[in-house]
Amino acid sequence: MVALVPSLLRQELANLAEQDQRIDGRGQFESRQITLETNCLYNAEGSAKVTWGDTIIYAGVKFEMRTPWPDRPAEGSLMCSAELRPIAGRKYEPGPPSPESIELSRVVDRGIRESNCIDMSKLCIIPGEKVLGVMIDIHVLSDCGNIFDACALAAIAALRTAMIPAERFDIGEDYPLPISMTPTMSSFTRVGGRYVLDANEEEELGGDERVHITLGDEGHLHSLQKGLRGTLTPAEFAEILEVAQSRCAELAELVNSKEA
Amino acid sequence: MGGYGDIQLLRDDGLRLDGRKVDEMREVEIEAGILPAADGSAWVKHGLNIAVCAVYGPMEAHPRKIQRQDRAVIDVRYNMAPFSTSDRIRPGFNRRSREISKVTAEALESVVLVERYPRSKIRVEIEILAAEAGTRCVGLTAAAVALADAGIPMRDMIVGVAAGKIEGTVVLDLDKAEDNYGQADLPMGILPTTGEIAFLQMDGDLSVEEFNTCLEYNMKAAKEIHAIQIDALKRRYEQKMGGGV
Repeated sequence: MVALVPSLLRQELANLAEQDQRIDGRGQFESRQITLETNCLYNAEGSAKVTWGDTIIYAGVKFEMRTPWPDRPAEGSLMCSAELRPIAGRKYEPGPPSPESIELSRVVDRGIRESNCIDMSKLCIIPGEKVLGVMIDIHVLSDCGNIFDACALAAIAALRTAMIPAERFDIGEDYPLPISMTPTMSSFTRVGGRYVLDANEEEELGGDERVHITLGDEGHLHSLQKGLRGTLTPAEFAEILEVAQSRCAELAELVNSKEA
Repeated sequence: MGGYGDIQLLRDDGLRLDGRKVDEMREVEIEAGILPAADGSAWVKHGLNIAVCAVYGPMEAHPRKIQRQDRAVIDVRYNMAPFSTSDRIRPGFNRRSREISKVTAEALESVVLVERYPRSKIRVEIEILAAEAGTRCVGLTAAAVALADAGIPMRDMIVGVAAGKIEGTVVLDLDKAEDNYGQADLPMGILPTTGEIAFLQMDGDLSVEEFNTCLEYNMKAAKEIHAIQIDALKRRYEQKMGGGV
């Protein structure tokens, strides 16, 4: 396995980058094949399955009736949690959430929250007393690289198909979650000295830092994150941001095409 | 078991609420090898239940104190996804999932040829993505297919099935309403070729005659599900040959 010889892998990735090639034959800013299925889980109020290359992610949306946060008495709440359970790969261990899974949850959460795609005031039932909480749980079943983008895609796709089970909460007829935007994420990893879009497992293993960019409908930035050791220049950021603009628009289109 | 016949579960024509006969199981679909990151994997849809299982290993067993000098240990984690039930489940292990994981591991250790891999560990990760009664059985059925897909030698497959009692009548494969309002539930892990029982739990109230009928139904269903398991593995094998993996 290449995992045993990361320095050889790094050398190989550097050689390939010099010739403008990638280890699986893709172009620098070419993504792997993506398939998206929605409403695929019984019992979840909204759900999505993303197959991104060999990476497989499920997301499910649940609602709960709760008391509002004291500083926002007339707004519902959002919680996004990504679980890196040991099913996801050989390297994952059981135990409390790892720093990696907390980072993943929070980066995905921020992208959705900060885009204000969900109108939280519409989730208020009785101000100060009862609001709806939206809970998105993301389950990584197979990690073969770039789980960030796949998780963000699964989360927004599940939200966009979610129905509020109003009948169960005794507040009228079921209705779709009021959601108006489709924030999506594009992630770049430094591999062999240059940034590539959608790194696979080997590229992550033999690569350096990564940058996650979440863009909303107008191409506005809603969440950024740099992870792992390494630095980038403003010029490099400008280049990947431009790629992210067109890539995120394509992903949003894919999500919107699935809506009922 | 929940109620005592306050909800009608058997229709006047003798069929169950979903139209099944008393000895008819829900529809079962199985796919093998669906998770590229795993050494072996399976997806099982049983009625509205969905279970996914990944197998990793055999690998070095650590920490060292869990090693067995003469055999492999099987480390099973049965987990229900937060969105798998009508009320969200808080993530993490609870007493129920720990117990199910333990008895599932012991059932699998009785079919896997664990003595072939001393001092090693085989990880079996069962995730329930959608739950509608009988998830421990669906998990067991999935685990057997995932182990076979990983190429781990076993002396037989293992099939999870359950029978129970509703309104005084023995029925095969309880659905959610029958599980909630029925009078007994008897989940079993059966070795379909030999008819041995590797997993056994029960709760509720059954007479000896009723137990025997449950057993007969379970044995019959085990043979049916076994055929579906084998078919899934065959399709996976053909794919592998064709795909040149």
